[in-house]
Amino acid sequence: MTPDHALDLRGVRKSYKGFTLKDVSFTLPRGVIGGLIGPNGSGKTTIIKLIMNLIRREAGEIRVFGLDNRSAEVEVKSRIGFVYDVPGFWDDQTLDSQRRALGAFYRTWSDDTFHRLAAEFGLPLDRKYKALSHGARTKFALAMALSHDADLLIMDEPTAGLDPIFRRDLLRRLSALLQEEGKSILFSTHITTDLERVADVITFIRGGELVFSLTRDELLDGWAIVRGDDGVVGELDPGLVKGVKPRAFGVEALVSDGGAARRALGSRAVVDKVTLDDVMVLMSGEALHAA
Amino acid sequence: MLRNALRKDLLLNARHLWGILPWFLWVAYAMSEPDAARMTAVGAAFVGSLMATTIAAREDKLRTAATLASLPVSRRTLVEARYLVAFIAGAAAYVVVVAMAAALPWSVQRAAELVELKTVLLTLTLASAAIAVMMPLVIRFGMIGVVVFLGAFQLLGVAVMVAFEFFGMRSAVGVFSAVRRGIVALHRGLDQPVVILAALTAVALALWASCRLSVFLAERRDL
Repeated sequence: MTPDHALDLRGVRKSYKGFTLKDVSFTLPRGVIGGLIGPNGSGKTTIIKLIMNLIRREAGEIRVFGLDNRSAEVEVKSRIGFVYDVPGFWDDQTLDSQRRALGAFYRTWSDDTFHRLAAEFGLPLDRKYKALSHGARTKFALAMALSHDADLLIMDEPTAGLDPIFRRDLLRRLSALLQEEGKSILFSTHITTDLERVADVITFIRGGELVFSLTRDELLDGWAIVRGDDGVVGELDPGLVKGVKPRAFGVEALVSDGGAARRALGSRAVVDKVTLDDVMVLMSGEALHAA
Repeated sequence: MLRNALRKDLLLNARHLWGILPWFLWVAYAMSEPDAARMTAVGAAFVGSLMATTIAAREDKLRTAATLASLPVSRRTLVEARYLVAFIAGAAAYVVVVAMAAALPWSVQRAAELVELKTVLLTLTLASAAIAVMMPLVIRFGMIGVVVFLGAFQLLGVAVMVAFEFFGMRSAVGVFSAVRRGIVALHRGLDQPVVILAALTAVALALWASCRLSVFLAERRDL
């Protein structure tokens, strides 16, 4: 366990009826953006809730900046900005009264930052929360999370429900936070193009299990898609094949070493660069994945 | 942090706490009835405290419980603040009734009666009992818990009335009579130091146990 990691999860377990998060371990170094991806119900939100200690873990250890997230809960949370997938605020209160009530909990809260962000996001501070659209609610949650100089931002599906222009702006802001202030960010999303734009580390969860946690370069430059006839998969080292999908003519396989696949198959198959969408699709098919 | 948690509850749940206003309409009416001062004042404090205990249920409904749990404050502090809010709401309601007794032109009540130590102590005891029972219940079961608990009391009351009125079962009202006699006896005894000490000790113990249980339940809750 090193304080050089913004996040360090070791053997974390949580069970619900019909779902178990199984001994998940991964780290998020300081100063990087980490993306959590996986199909619906794979355990992304459960992991985020466990980090925030919103739910009780059954086993394992979670450290944030080297501190246990339960025994040092207040210190840990003072350094985290959190955006929930469905932000929960007080319907009958104005945004400004919520800012006054909640901002007081943070020693590093900045009203100036909040007002600047609110103006940039076009948030009407005198309006009640219930009068806001879903996108505006997420923007309010973001403004709250970004106004106390958090060292780590944790966001569950922050870009869902946002228009493409604001989504792009948000991603630009996140990158700027990282470059200018050395913050760390972990966010889950279904929108893989968002991750391709900004994520440094990508963690894939499926069925409550960690499938991989790799840097974007390791994944997008190292992994590949192999397209060929039905026999090409058999010619590859089984350890390399992470997922297979039948196509109209032959198969499409996800491999964890594009170079090795090229050397093994030569001109008998096409080996292409992989996208996160390919990874999601080829690793999410329960019946077909080979990993 | 307790101060921030208290401030947050009062700022963000003010409208919820204003839900006690209809009760004051009844109080305003009751001020013209002889000997209603104590009942209305104790009742207002009781209702005010109960209203405040349901803040946790409101936060479940609005999904703000997770937002609160993500703040840099322990769940213990949030729960302790909730107890304080309940006392503040109860005390505020009591003060309003005293003011109404003194100021309303049609009031036939003596406000001085309401600021007697034994009346204040009786109110404190009953409001504390309500808070001590309701708070863990709301934290564990939410609004459904409140409705089931209060509904069960209503049904019990109806059953007792039916048993008494239609079947002549005097013993059915025995429990309620005993409670009433107990409250009257407590009120009479609350000018004796021993009874005051015993009542305050009981209140402190009940609140301490209730708060421990509420914290335990809140800390174990998955949000």
